[in-house]
This record gives sequence, structure tokens and C-alpha cells, in this order.
Amino acid sequence: MATFELYRRSTIGMCLTETLDEMVSNGTLSPELAIEVLVQFDKSMTEALESQVKSKVTIAGHLHTYRFCDNVWTFILQGASFKSEDFVQNVDRVKIVACDSKLLSQ
Amino acid sequence: MADTDQVMEPSIDNPFISSPALHPRPTLQNVVSTVNFGCTLDLKAIVRHARNTEYNPKRFAAAMMRIREPKTTALIFSSGKIVCTGAKTEKQSLTAARKYARIIQKLGFDITFNDFKIQNIVASCDVGCPLSLVRMSTFHGEFLVYEPELFPGLIYRMKKPKVAILVFPSGKIVIAGAQKTDEIFEAFKNIYPVLMSFRKTK
Repeated sequence: MATFELYRRSTIGMCLTETLDEMVSNGTLSPELAIEVLVQFDKSMTEALESQVKSKVTIAGHLHTYRFCDNVWTFILQGASFKSEDFVQNVDRVKIVACDSKLLSQ
Repeated sequence: MADTDQVMEPSIDNPFISSPALHPRPTLQNVVSTVNFGCTLDLKAIVRHARNTEYNPKRFAAAMMRIREPKTTALIFSSGKIVCTGAKTEKQSLTAARKYARIIQKLGFDITFNDFKIQNIVASCDVGCPLSLVRMSTFHGEFLVYEPELFPGLIYRMKKPKVAILVFPSGKIVIAGAQKTDEIFEAFKNIYPVLMSFRKTK
């Protein structure tokens, strides 16, 4: 089953990838198993975000660039504000990468 | 191209108008043009490397790219043909088409700027007073279609210049189908006295 690999680019995903790479290069882990771990990571992230995350955030800002390629949206916002119930966070620049979740179930 | 600073002269055609400055003037709303870049384009590569582009081959075979100045949208086809929409004047449409050519050229394609053509110019105008479309339709039958149950506006298909004019009861009109800005103004010059003679009097 296909997974969205975009969560591997998050800090936690990068750390996992680094760790697994280290383990593969010094022989403690086989490459196939490392890939299996990453696939499981993708599935767990998707599952966790879907079922365990309830908060809603509004993102507003000036759209600097957008791109839609291979069913992946990439946005770069400038002067963006992340607003939710309990906090407001302003950032100068944010990159948003979004995949269509309906594609997973196909 | 003539500067769009034409003023309508008072004449026998315009008995209601005394001063040219009082004439309403159509404002250009949209200019659509096409151009052929003369080579096959790899749309996947274009959308990957250029900004502000969308490509969803399952929905539509072309990539859509937008630039901010002039504010326009281009449909880019793999054949190398481009449709440029959203410009407000003919000159802007040409500038925009050239900008799109520059962007694609920078990505490494061998572009030639061939067969640039303005395909459609749309303008709107307000004649300033409500109009009686029913009366109008009884007089000028052969050129116009008025079916209020289908569409609230009257459609006047002018033969020369070949444009379509949508006339609404509020007095607002839309002129579309022109290939030159002059055709818009000529069409308006022709239709204005007709419209004024069908003013809604209360």
C-alpha cells in the first residue's frame, strides 16, 4: 500500500532517517528493514494526525508562490499568521506542502 | 496601435448628446490572446521548475501559469501553444505573452514568438439610465435575441464590427468578441444612440 512520504521531511522524520542510515551503514540493520520502518513511520504519522489531532488552525498570509505538480501542492507564504483557539504565531516565511488524503484510499 | 483616447464627436447620430465629454466610455475588462512558441514543451518539467504553476493532467491537458504584472493567466500546452488571458489592454496582453515566453525560455526550451494574435476583447460600459429591452426587441428584431426567461440580458449581434453586445435593463452593457480595441469603441458608437432611444421613461 502506498504511503505519503512527506512526513519524513519533518524534524522527527529526518532524525529517524538519519538514525536508520547510520544503523544500515554500520551493519546493525538491513536496508529492507530500514525501508519497512520508514513505511511504518508514514502510516503511523498519517493515522496519528487523523485520529489524535483535533485542533484547528487558521493560516493567513501573502501567497508568494504556489505549485501543483504530481497532486502535491506547495505554497510559500510571507508574513503569515497561525491562529488557533489558544495562540497566535506570526512568521516571516512558511512553506506548506500538502497532499490529497483521498489519494491514499485509492 | 492607436492610443485609446478617442472622443466621440457630437453629430447627427447622437442627437441626445451635446458635449463629447459626457459620453460614457467602455472600459476594457479582458483581452485574450494566443501565441505559438514553436516547439514541444515538457509540462512536467515546467511545473517543477517555474513558480506559480499548476498542472493536473487528469483534469486538463495544459499547465496554468500566472504572473503578477501584467496580472494574467496563461494556459500552456505541450504542443507549444499558449493562451494568455486576463490582460486589460492589447499591449498588456502582448507584454504578458512575452513574459511567459521569457520564463519558458529560461527553463531551457528553444522558444520562438510566432503568430501572436488577439482573439477576444471584452469591455463593459454603463449608459447611465435604465433601458426598456422589451421595446428594443420589437424594433430591431433581426440582430437581437431577447429571452428574459433564459437570460436577463438582451443579446445584440452587430454585423460590423462583428461583436456581441449584452444589454441589461439597468443600462449596463457588455461588448465582447472584438479583435481590436477600435472595434469596441466603434461598436459602442453604433449602439449608443440605439440604446438611448430605448431609455426607460417613467
